[in-house]
Amino acid sequence: MGRKKSPVDPPVCSLCEAPAVMNQQYSRRSLCSTHFINDVEERVFQVIEKKKMIRAGDRIAVALSGGKDSTALLLLLALHLPKWQDVSLIAVTVDEGIHGYRDETIRAAERVAENVGVEHSVVSFQDLFSDNLDTLLKGREEQACTVCGILRKKALIEGAKKVRATKIATGHNLNDEAQSVLMNVLRGDLPRLVRNSGIDTADSFLPRIKPLAEIPEKEVASYLFVKGMFLLLPECPYRGFALRADVRSMLSGLEHRNPGTMLRLMESRKKIEKYLEWEKVSGPLHRCRQCGDPCSGDLCQVCRLLLSLAR
Amino acid sequence: MGCAPQPTHQDMKIILPDQGTRVIERGPVSVEKMLHELRINPLEVIVSRNGTLVPENAVVGADDEIRIIRISHGG
Repeated sequence: MGRKKSPVDPPVCSLCEAPAVMNQQYSRRSLCSTHFINDVEERVFQVIEKKKMIRAGDRIAVALSGGKDSTALLLLLALHLPKWQDVSLIAVTVDEGIHGYRDETIRAAERVAENVGVEHSVVSFQDLFSDNLDTLLKGREEQACTVCGILRKKALIEGAKKVRATKIATGHNLNDEAQSVLMNVLRGDLPRLVRNSGIDTADSFLPRIKPLAEIPEKEVASYLFVKGMFLLLPECPYRGFALRADVRSMLSGLEHRNPGTMLRLMESRKKIEKYLEWEKVSGPLHRCRQCGDPCSGDLCQVCRLLLSLAR
Repeated sequence: MGCAPQPTHQDMKIILPDQGTRVIERGPVSVEKMLHELRINPLEVIVSRNGTLVPENAVVGADDEIRIIRISHGG
């Protein structure tokens, strides 16, 4: 007769009885390091295949900040790369010019790209917008995340075009996606709320894919930790200014007290997306009179922002 | 002079997300309870014991080196 399990017995893997490193509440399983790594790698591959994110001939620009999500994304795409015919990867890092923060993360990005044998390219705000973020934000630090978010997206697109990429892959995880849904609701931004989650082409001719969008942030971090690739990096000095910081904290509290909150939020978004027609919500597509990029009005967000910053 | 009484609980040293350390007077305790006492949301951190990742229902004790790592970062 087996010994009765004691509360101080180490939790074991539901699949092999090795010590568990992760409890997945949504799958009601505990997983050991081997089964957890396999699980994350398999789920990411399934999402890419299910949403047809990658096709033969694609050259994928992987947005690599050097942080945990983009590092995990690059590792996972490089791992699965041999499964796709005639597909190549190139890592693209945006250097916003944030003193005491970005230099260290760029070095981390360079090391990761070198480790996985992927070419690496850096594009800077200084080169593209003639100033770094610190200078652009002088006296308007409270707008940091809005300004940075708009310019960084543009820089990434330009960086991807420069290396002749056909798609951009970003490391947004489930938490990021759920936070965006809630933020768009709070801002009343319906077009952004229903923007297609699989392959997004709304503000560029380069489609964007998010292969980690169904993986919770904790699992992304745990995946890197178990693989010995988790790095402690400095935090962005502007992060406290973001609406996202408040939403992140609120949503993580809700998820802890009511597991499944984030998944239900994503399901709600899918339902809204299903019943709305993107063209009707977003309005007709125009071209920015200044740069020619697709936009909903006369000027695109980037040109509008650069004009206001010049004042 | 008699022997000192055996302690019924032991101090546990924890390395916090800000790299500071904290000693809590506890015997074996689950990671979940430890985080609750430190007012840390388990979804915002990962916890290692002697360098190995542990889930929230793992029990940690005085001989362990516990490290709590914050995972939410901007950028």
